[in-house]
Amino acid sequence: MTDLSFENVSITYRSSSDRGDVVAVKDVSLDLPAGATLGIAGESGSGKSTLIMSALRLLPKSARLDGRVLLGGKDLQDLNFGQIRAVRWAQASIVFQGALHSLNPVREVGGQIIEALTHHAKDTWTTPEKRRDRMFELLSEVDLDRSKAIAYPHELSGGQKQRIMIAMALACEPDIIIADEPTTALDVIVQKQILSGLAALVAERGISLLMISHDLAVLSAVCANLAIMRHGKLVEYGPSDEVCLRPQEEYTKQLAGAFPQIGDPESRLNPRTLKPAEVTRAQPYTMGDEVVLEAKDLSVSFDTRHGRERAVRGVDLALHKAEILAVVGQSGSGKTTLARSLLGLQEVEPDSQLSFAGKPLPKKAKALRTFRRQVQMILQDPSGSLNPKRSVYEAVVEGLRVQGIRDREYERVVGALEAAELTPAADYLESIPQELSGGQRQRVVIAGALALDPQVLIADEPVASLDASVRGEILSLFLALKKNLGMSALIITHDLGLAWNIADTVAVMKKGEIVEYGDVDTVLKDPQHAYTQELLAAVPRLGSQSLVRNE
Amino acid sequence: MPANTPAEAAPGKPSGAGSPSNGSDPRGSDPRGSAPVVDGAKLVRERRLNNAKKNWALFRSDIPAMVGAVVLLFFIVIAVVAPLIAPESMLDVTKQLDVPRYAPPSLEHPLGTDDLGREMWVRILWGARVSILVGVAATVMSMVIGTIMGLAAGHFTGLFGGIIMRIVDFFIVLPSLLLAIVLSSVLERGVFTIVVAIGLTSWASTARIVRSQTLSVESRLYIERARILGAGHRHILFRHLLPSVMPLVLANTTLTVGGAIIAESTLSFLGLGDTSKESWGTILKNSMDVSAATSGYWWYVLTPGIAILLVVLAFTMVGRALEAIINPALRSR
Repeated sequence: MTDLSFENVSITYRSSSDRGDVVAVKDVSLDLPAGATLGIAGESGSGKSTLIMSALRLLPKSARLDGRVLLGGKDLQDLNFGQIRAVRWAQASIVFQGALHSLNPVREVGGQIIEALTHHAKDTWTTPEKRRDRMFELLSEVDLDRSKAIAYPHELSGGQKQRIMIAMALACEPDIIIADEPTTALDVIVQKQILSGLAALVAERGISLLMISHDLAVLSAVCANLAIMRHGKLVEYGPSDEVCLRPQEEYTKQLAGAFPQIGDPESRLNPRTLKPAEVTRAQPYTMGDEVVLEAKDLSVSFDTRHGRERAVRGVDLALHKAEILAVVGQSGSGKTTLARSLLGLQEVEPDSQLSFAGKPLPKKAKALRTFRRQVQMILQDPSGSLNPKRSVYEAVVEGLRVQGIRDREYERVVGALEAAELTPAADYLESIPQELSGGQRQRVVIAGALALDPQVLIADEPVASLDASVRGEILSLFLALKKNLGMSALIITHDLGLAWNIADTVAVMKKGEIVEYGDVDTVLKDPQHAYTQELLAAVPRLGSQSLVRNE
Repeated sequence: MPANTPAEAAPGKPSGAGSPSNGSDPRGSDPRGSAPVVDGAKLVRERRLNNAKKNWALFRSDIPAMVGAVVLLFFIVIAVVAPLIAPESMLDVTKQLDVPRYAPPSLEHPLGTDDLGREMWVRILWGARVSILVGVAATVMSMVIGTIMGLAAGHFTGLFGGIIMRIVDFFIVLPSLLLAIVLSSVLERGVFTIVVAIGLTSWASTARIVRSQTLSVESRLYIERARILGAGHRHILFRHLLPSVMPLVLANTTLTVGGAIIAESTLSFLGLGDTSKESWGTILKNSMDVSAATSGYWWYVLTPGIAILLVVLAFTMVGRALEAIINPALRSR
């Protein structure tokens, strides 16, 4: 068995830009004895990915490593290229972040698993037949059907792709598996399946697992020890339960608090953040009786290869003034289709009724344009929703120009940016998206919608791609918009904690149908439908190591 | 096409404010929203002017681009002032009777002389006029047609997009040299005919490239966002799609200019050009006629060849710099 240890590791990126050399990791010492599990938590930019890349010497040329990385007692720096190749995959393997991009789209996944075998373990799986058998063995280990071996990546779901990645990592029977945010893009149910799969493998095989994530709850579900990193430094290290439930450092408390525990009254309608958005109105708006946006018997169908598929079936929804409604469900449950059809972006079936402020949704292009002034949508990915070549000012002003609003353009833009808490707005007007952080980009997108003074905001996974602390800020912004402007919002998410944090009502969607719909407090505290209970049970809890102990 | 496409779409670095790169926004320090009435249009104008200045500064700091620009400027200037430096009579064969034929380059004959005793440098000077004019004009024509057709084929789906794509396909499968020959023999002889012949035969490949780029941009989220904001076809086409295909078109332009200059040479070589006008292609044709390369008259072949090479290279270097300015994401690479 092999131990992995980092001894006083510092990693510096040489850079010719104005920023000079960037210290990504500063004096970190960590130990991963054989058979142990260690989780590293931290926000983006904390240096956690850089640190684990050094474990296989995968750092780019511009990085300089001080200190020692020992794998099985050998310093990785001393190995030559042939030796390091032998170490990679055979002794330690990596499950990369974003399985969607790590698989070759034009090859069958089975062949891609065999590729790892042909390159690395020449002695054990010597013939093509043996490799094939090994590949099927691996597929069954990650709970995939044999028939998936001839599937192409685009034919698999996100969770299945992630399992293929894990199968590839397991291929050569490594002693150490390094997992880089293995479940970030997945919904809670699939996340639970992947995590329990990993946990079981670790327990059965005695493999050591090094996992990094920004989500403490995910790490604590699997790992025995936890390390918290911030700005390249180790902030806290200890047994998982200690770190999560009795954190010593302020930063750890903040991380632990960022993901709400459902049922905890303290975080109800109160997303934890250091920078809450201000509520300026003396008497904040609360949910009213007036119905703004309503859908009755809404159905949407798509033509697919296998005939017509109904993505949304007979949905009834009513969004009131100053209400935040969370639509929760797994990926593929039709949430996004529902949102698009509420905006008139998606053709609906003839007997569906959609109405805005009591009137049916317009069909003509010109009337639709006016309608879109009232109802705005924020798309899933803030980086993709902004044209990379256009400045913040141009991005925010776009809606005004399209809608033909010409007066007080500058004030409207600045006002919208400030309502989205991007202050002082004037400093950001000329920036291009590349120069902004993820949270700032999301604020620009929100400002672009706010500039039109809409009555309803529809947001598709508004915080899914953001860091824990930024998540709190954006959520508190939604709450403040509701309280200050009386805006209604429909938020689509797979995160039940988000609903607990800000929503008034919640609708749980499964396979295009709403299975449970009601007040957040009632639904989440006392779920009636089996599916809601399943979703709630799949949410990882802090400090329980639930998945490992259940096995 | 609107006049304000590429330059407007190219934002500079944020001005004085510095780059706000991390999440430390100092809160409530200076709410400048209530500043005196600011004219939005004026603000945008000022920003464009600033951008133009910044882009010029960027261009100047790029050494290959400046070298290319100087070379181009040199050829353009000599083409424009050719009649002043070398009167047209210097090309008149009847007046060169006392000049030695096939004189190698020397102090007296800087670039040598040709089979009729004409000075090579005079021919290059006069040839630059036609060659550069045809190269640029044919490229502009091909780019304009190609960009419009490509954008339309990529943006509009269904029957309309399909029809446009079939038209593009038709032009792709046409043997372009043959079409050019037919066109230049049907139409009146002259520089304009050559421009039309080259322009009409070379736009189809541009349209293909523009279409594929349009398709990939079309699926980006910011197009969807524009639709949500209520945008129609015109807004999406001219505000988002056109600026994003412009770098590609520009990069393609630099290559096409070279191709067009060579195509002009080909047509002149085949005797389809305006025989009364001097062009680099004509010089090359003459050199082939007298087997200059095999007879050791290297200056006869090399001089027009190097002139073509220099101009094409200069266009490429300038084009690359323009591409980097238009697409800020390329700058750091």
